[in-house]
Amino acid sequence: MHDREVTAIIGPSGCGKTTFIRTLNRMVEMSSGLRIEGSVRYREQEIYGARIDPVQVRRRIGMVFQRPVVFPQSIYENVAFGLRLDRAPPEEVDAAVVRSLQRAALWEEVRGILKRPAFELSGGQQQRLCIARALAVDPRVLLMDEPTASLDPAGTQRIEDLLFELKREYAVVIVTHNMQQAARVADRTAFFFGGRLVEVDDTKRLFEAPRDPLTEQYITGRFG
Amino acid sequence: MDQPVLRGEGSVGAAGHADPVAAPTPASIAPARRTPWWAWALSPIALLPLIFIVLIALVLLFSGDLKLLFEPGFWSFNFYFNPLAPSQAVWAFPLYLVGTALTAGIALALATALSLALAISTTVYLPAWLGRSLGTLTNLLAGIPSVVYGIWGYVVLAPYFGLTLQPALRSYLGWIPFFGGPLSETASGTGVLLASLILTIMVVPLTTAIIRDSLVSVPHPLLEASFALGATRWETTRRVRLRVARSGVRGAVFLGFGRAIGESVAVAMVIGGQTQIPPSIYSGTSTVSAFLLYQQDSAFIYPALLHALVEFAVVLLLITLVFNYLAQRASGERGAVGPTSAAGI
Repeated sequence: MHDREVTAIIGPSGCGKTTFIRTLNRMVEMSSGLRIEGSVRYREQEIYGARIDPVQVRRRIGMVFQRPVVFPQSIYENVAFGLRLDRAPPEEVDAAVVRSLQRAALWEEVRGILKRPAFELSGGQQQRLCIARALAVDPRVLLMDEPTASLDPAGTQRIEDLLFELKREYAVVIVTHNMQQAARVADRTAFFFGGRLVEVDDTKRLFEAPRDPLTEQYITGRFG
Repeated sequence: MDQPVLRGEGSVGAAGHADPVAAPTPASIAPARRTPWWAWALSPIALLPLIFIVLIALVLLFSGDLKLLFEPGFWSFNFYFNPLAPSQAVWAFPLYLVGTALTAGIALALATALSLALAISTTVYLPAWLGRSLGTLTNLLAGIPSVVYGIWGYVVLAPYFGLTLQPALRSYLGWIPFFGGPLSETASGTGVLLASLILTIMVVPLTTAIIRDSLVSVPHPLLEASFALGATRWETTRRVRLRVARSGVRGAVFLGFGRAIGESVAVAMVIGGQTQIPPSIYSGTSTVSAFLLYQQDSAFIYPALLHALVEFAVVLLLITLVFNYLAQRASGERGAVGPTSAAGI
């Protein structure tokens, strides 16, 4: 995965897309009944290293889930959640909340209602709130697990527009079951099948001239 | 097919479940079934518990002397009852209320802290199998009859309290106002401290079970979202789990208080029974429910005493009802449920 790029992960259901990106910030350790092997490096540093704190990993590598998950608190407190963990001074929190909401393209819609409960927002707005919340702790990488799966086309459009803004500053990894979405937003695309990485390439090249016959079959819609 | 499968027509909100037009073709959706007659016939039975509560309150109110509640003697702080002149009795209800509030209050403060610690450690920190077995163990404590707690407190704990623990507490912690004050002259060990501790042990299983349930039912995605933001286990517990489970914790506290106020047998056995505002936590006093238990043997000899007991019971009933109602309201609050259901969880 590269900085300032969007990497899409595609593949049929159950091929390990979600599990894969959950390994990237050690969220996978929250589930039980699995074995962890191998290695993931962030800027040459092994994140599964013995002396690495998973909490610190997740500060650098933020995550947005399939369904928007807002805390039962105000819009403001939702964005401030990560900052409160660091006991940031109030004026810093204020500034970071505004900045993150602006980056998540939500600021104009919520600027007057920051104290309202977050669950009053629409699904699409909630998902952008989750993105703002992830951005507020200033990560370098943003992992998105099918962020538009539960949104309507308009909400999806807004998130996709947002991805073009976000990749100016972050490395973005997006899991999607929607090949058109990968083709629209990603610079590079990885195809997973049966728990294995089959092929990763420039999005354009992967879709136009896949090297692996399995990839070709999948993107031409013969299975999955 | 020319005929649309689904067509909208008519107005929304019209009465009647069955649509007469939809009846003819066999492929049509069946009309709503009627509620069976016996469901109507049986529903008053479901109301019986409620009717019973009202009946108990009414019978108690009018079998005693209702006027007593409005007499200054009932509300004075000096207890006076001379069997030779029962008409001059003064009942000092507030005195017993102080004893009840004090023991139940201390017990609840301790029980809340203990149950929170127990519930958090068994649901969040300990491995699942250990947490579950500890949970079962706490639930078992709830099944022990209160008289067993009472006799254990009186026979085993009281001598130790009177001779060792209370003098030690007073000499080491006496500088804190709460632990200061005079020791009991007889060193019997019975009194506010022992009664509060016994009550704590009796309330803990109840409050722990409710708090555990509410902690466990916090939706997993909320916890994951918190972890993904780089929160530690404790931060997630404090900022997400406890916040979402807040109404359950509040319900547990009110229910526990109701239980502590009403408990009579165990308390009566270890409270001492003195009719006084306790000068310290080491002294004996009495509670409303303990008084009922102490005096019932002579109740039918002195009509004045009987009336007083009945009015005590009425007020106790009302107080416990209020706290149980508060518990219901606290845990039935939609506040914590709304946002998560809105998130589609």
